[in-house]
Amino acid sequence: MSLNADSADNAFTFKGGMLPMTVMELSSADPEQIRRQLAGKLSQSPAFFQHTPVVLSVEKLDEPHLSLERICAVCRDHKLLPVAVRGGPEPVRQSAWALGLGWFAPVEEARARTLESVERVEAPVEPAAPVELEAPTAATRLYRGTVRSGQQVSAAEGDLIVIGAVNAGAEVLAAGSIHVYGALRGRALAGIHGNTQAGIYCRELEAELLSVAGNYKRLEDIDPKLLGCAAQVHFSEEQLEIKALV
Amino acid sequence: MAKIIVVTSGKGGVGKTTSAAAISTGLALRGKKTVVIDFDVGLRNLDLIMGCERRVVYDLVNVIQGEAGLNQALIRDKRVENLFILPASQTRDKDALTKEGVAEVLEQLKSDFDYILCDSPAGIERGAQLAMYFADEAVVVTNPEVSSVRDSDRILGLLGSKTQRAEQSLDPVKEHLLITRYNPSRVTSGDMLTLEDIREILAINLLGLIPESEAVLRASNQGVPVTHDAASDAGQAYADTVARLLGEEVPLRFHEVQRKSLLGRMFGGGRR
Repeated sequence: MSLNADSADNAFTFKGGMLPMTVMELSSADPEQIRRQLAGKLSQSPAFFQHTPVVLSVEKLDEPHLSLERICAVCRDHKLLPVAVRGGPEPVRQSAWALGLGWFAPVEEARARTLESVERVEAPVEPAAPVELEAPTAATRLYRGTVRSGQQVSAAEGDLIVIGAVNAGAEVLAAGSIHVYGALRGRALAGIHGNTQAGIYCRELEAELLSVAGNYKRLEDIDPKLLGCAAQVHFSEEQLEIKALV
Repeated sequence: MAKIIVVTSGKGGVGKTTSAAAISTGLALRGKKTVVIDFDVGLRNLDLIMGCERRVVYDLVNVIQGEAGLNQALIRDKRVENLFILPASQTRDKDALTKEGVAEVLEQLKSDFDYILCDSPAGIERGAQLAMYFADEAVVVTNPEVSSVRDSDRILGLLGSKTQRAEQSLDPVKEHLLITRYNPSRVTSGDMLTLEDIREILAINLLGLIPESEAVLRASNQGVPVTHDAASDAGQAYADTVARLLGEEVPLRFHEVQRKSLLGRMFGGGRR
């Protein structure tokens, strides 16, 4: 399943992608304080400030009316290009859109990375509709039967549920989580658009490869004690955590 | 109207041609008018196993390309009535087969026969896909080893997507599992996958289990399908398989280690 149609007549195709994105996590809403800190950083590493796209994360701020416009101006003065805002209450979302910026839902679990955080990039389905990040249940895909070697089953927007086994050499992918009610012997990639909250759940773990938001483990890396057991896989503390499902 | 059954596996050397020959012979012995077609263009083998290699004049490719009529190419089996062989060409390659050509040949055969068996080449390319494309049922031949099971799994995926029945959203191809070269003592010692392992991974209906047997090699080299060797374990196992294909309930045999009788041990009689 892919979002793009193979027609030569199309002017464009929509594609989901995972791009490395710098997140600028604001702990102050004061534009002048931001300006001072940016000036200091600029002198330290000028190479970084080359019209670098950044996502302004305002999740840690508790101000309903921050002056997004001035913060953006300060960023642009220092050759940073704000492309989107993450988090914040409704007025922040409205002013982001008014400024021509995208808006991302906040990440529930604040992580301590300051640079090179991977941002989720959702492929919009209808160009006109705003990007819906909370995956609607309609996007869940249910597959009944065995996913066989060489087959690929994917849920481009939501979760994937397989009632059956995923055999060796098969691949299952989902933007959200993957649930396998059977043996998982093939490759399972959850959170393919970068959703680190996605998980993988299966009745019998024999997977060739497990991946959540691009962080993967091979069969070799899996604790042999967990093989053959019901298991759950999550991304936590910068790595994949595989636990028995009890 | 004939039922079209493809004998396929993905992996080579697991016993497709042996099984196609044995099952078609078994069906003919049960009074069903049967034709077995060799789709392995370029690596013709079925005629050898059927013992008719000296009587091949025209082949499948000749018929498809209009160089010969179907009746000129069909070889009548000398041992069983109702059994015909349509050999493959040894000098051409798989590109000589066309979907339209195969469709036309099968259409002509359908009105005359009860069963049409298509002996698929190994692999998943054109030859194998054409052999399975028009099938109503499939016999997936699998050895008790991991690579064979994985290839069979792949073939099952193709049967569910690359056949006429799949493309036209008709009833799916009926899939049967045929396990060959099964050696219960090597299964017990852990050298081979167990019957249960294979069934669990492939998750399809078990049609038959053929034990590893000296009778099979002997039959191949003599050009007599092993079904004729009714005293052998493999011959009996194929007869059981054919009975199940015809819808009969037959208990599974040869899947457990046979204890040798005292006399057997004294005289060292091997498996026949």
